[in-house]
Amino acid sequence: MEQRDLPWIMKNSAGTQIERRDEPYFDAALRDELEADLMPKYPNRRAATLPVLHAVQNKVGYLPYQAIEEIAAFLETTPAEVLDTASFYDQYMTEPQGKYTLWVCHSLSCELMGQPDLLGRIQKKLGVGPGETTDDGKFTLRTAECLGSCGTAPCALVNDVLHETIDTDTFLRSLDDLN
Amino acid sequence: MLETPVLCKRIPTWPWGDPADRAYVDYDAFVDTGGYVALKQALDMEPKQVIDAVKSSELRGRGGAGFPAGLKWSFLPPEDGQRRYLAVNADESEPGTFKDRLLLDFDPHQMLEGIAITMHACRLDTTYIYIRGEYHAQAKATQRAIEEAYANGIFGKNSKLGKINDRWPECVLHRGAGAYICGEETGLLESLEGKRGWPRVKPPFPAVAGAFGRPTVINNVETLAMVPPIIEHGAEWFKSMGKGRPDGAPPSVPASFGPKLYGVSGHVNRPDVFEDDLGIPMSTLINEHCAGMRNGKAYKAAIPGGISMGVLGPDEMDAELDFDIGKKHNCLGLGTAGVIVMDEDTDMVMVARNIARFFAHESCGQCTPCREGTGWMYKILLRIEQGGGTTKDLDLLLELAGSMGAMPGTTICGLADGANWAVRTILNKFWDEFASRVSVDRSVSLPVVGAGH
Ligand SMILES: Cc1cc2nc3c(=O)[nH]c(=O)nc-3n(C[C@H](O)[C@H](O)[C@H](O)COP(=O)(O)O)c2cc1C
Ligand code: SF4
Ligand code: FES
Repeated sequence: MEQRDLPWIMKNSAGTQIERRDEPYFDAALRDELEADLMPKYPNRRAATLPVLHAVQNKVGYLPYQAIEEIAAFLETTPAEVLDTASFYDQYMTEPQGKYTLWVCHSLSCELMGQPDLLGRIQKKLGVGPGETTDDGKFTLRTAECLGSCGTAPCALVNDVLHETIDTDTFLRSLDDLN
Repeated sequence: MLETPVLCKRIPTWPWGDPADRAYVDYDAFVDTGGYVALKQALDMEPKQVIDAVKSSELRGRGGAGFPAGLKWSFLPPEDGQRRYLAVNADESEPGTFKDRLLLDFDPHQMLEGIAITMHACRLDTTYIYIRGEYHAQAKATQRAIEEAYANGIFGKNSKLGKINDRWPECVLHRGAGAYICGEETGLLESLEGKRGWPRVKPPFPAVAGAFGRPTVINNVETLAMVPPIIEHGAEWFKSMGKGRPDGAPPSVPASFGPKLYGVSGHVNRPDVFEDDLGIPMSTLINEHCAGMRNGKAYKAAIPGGISMGVLGPDEMDAELDFDIGKKHNCLGLGTAGVIVMDEDTDMVMVARNIARFFAHESCGQCTPCREGTGWMYKILLRIEQGGGTTKDLDLLLELAGSMGAMPGTTICGLADGANWAVRTILNKFWDEFASRVSVDRSVSLPVVGAGH
């Protein structure tokens, strides 16, 4: 962002242009599908915000601001309201993500059962910390709160696949097999 | 000890079966083993009779608060022909808790049958199952079961339930997106409406004005799964299990009847979900169900039911896991019965820091004592863990923790009470360990005016 003559204003929200492209992210095919299958399940359109965000993020990989505007138009609400909701939840991303997101649980049962070693060695292998993406765009590392797999700790989600009772060596090797 | 499994009837679980044999139970297999019989019985009863049956069983909510289910249902206003909702709480995000997951993964029809009975009893036309976003496989299994139930006339057009509020009954799976606070019942409703999951100020309670401003019942997965066996076998059967009322207590005192799913994790040999009577001693759970402590270590501490409940100390291994545990053992309660066991090598400062970090991350930020308090507790505990703490920090922690929560009356919801009890009980029960990790505070408070002369 360009620096203006008011250095204490960190974020020039009013003047910021969002990136746009001609082709919509939330295309007609997906809109028609959701209109037919999803919208009849809810008494008002805004209630479909979470499932629509999931559907668009699944397709695009993240939620660009242009997509947020398109979703708002579809839900007949404002982009501010959609972004307000999207920014509240850990799973929605407004920035591009790695091809694989590793969610390493660091809640109590997992920390007791070896999560610090697991996370430390993943960081060392990938050269990134939680919240960061590798330079080749392959992996984004994240920490997660309890994944409901406490009896089979430590655990991590790789995208939507849950790995349980993780042995660090085996897990690190399995990352090499992903392409 | 429970003689035959109830919720784990079709889910192999120690001591009745081998967890390695667990597999998804589909509609046909469910019906072949007695499934949907209770629904048939319930449909032959008047809705009010069904509510009365659940009331007399004294079934208490399995989601954490232990509120009597039948009583909750009876708070609904009379029907007015408009929509009324059932919101199923499958948000299961309390660290240490993975019991609902067992039902969702392998035998979701139990919950669906409970849902159908509850819709009939309470005249609810639409159900939303709010499942946490991280439960990908569980969402698939549940969706599959819902589709089977539609195909077999449980929900949808021409459902066995008939029209409710002049609508065919519907059951919808709604996926969350990673926010613990959406397990709080009104946070769940806000999230269901497409908003951030900010808990609502109560009253009005959801029974009166819940989802979309309409009367709504909210129950946990396990609570609903318990309804069909109660209808089928009766309240007396249900009350023959569990702990019953404390000695000499009048019938108005809520009791701990029935079986319960216990999820055990941490330093034990066989961590898993087990089904047993409410009120079994924790030592039985650890020594028998879990085949003892791992690596021959000694027991040091345990969380009785999710980290919000606080901690049980070294001399509380025999604590009976029932709804009265809070009063007897100075913790918040039984919670979700997700037991986290810790051995002698466990660093309790680390445990407190981990828990405080969880609450600081998951506080929704509406109430200042919770938003700021959880954040500062985390920072102070991190400082103590890294060796920079002073004795003053310990007092400050107790003061901070004790001031936040819906029970002290400073916050909207119970998340802050969880942070309060967790930090306070760990500190109180392991005071010496904390004291040995901090240095004596040597700073001197000088009067501000005239200081420096
Ligand atoms: C911060 C917070 C988180 C909660 N999370 C859950 C949850 O994940 N699952 C659940 O069933 N209940 C949860 N509850 C309890 C619900 O508010 C509510 O009491 C429960 O769903 C009611 O169902 P029951 O009566 O069948 O137990 C939570 C409560 C609080 C205060
Ligand atoms: S107590 Fe905490 S989590 Fe609950 S509403 Fe207030 S800020 Fe949000
Ligand atoms: S603490 Fe990691 S899955 Fe529950």
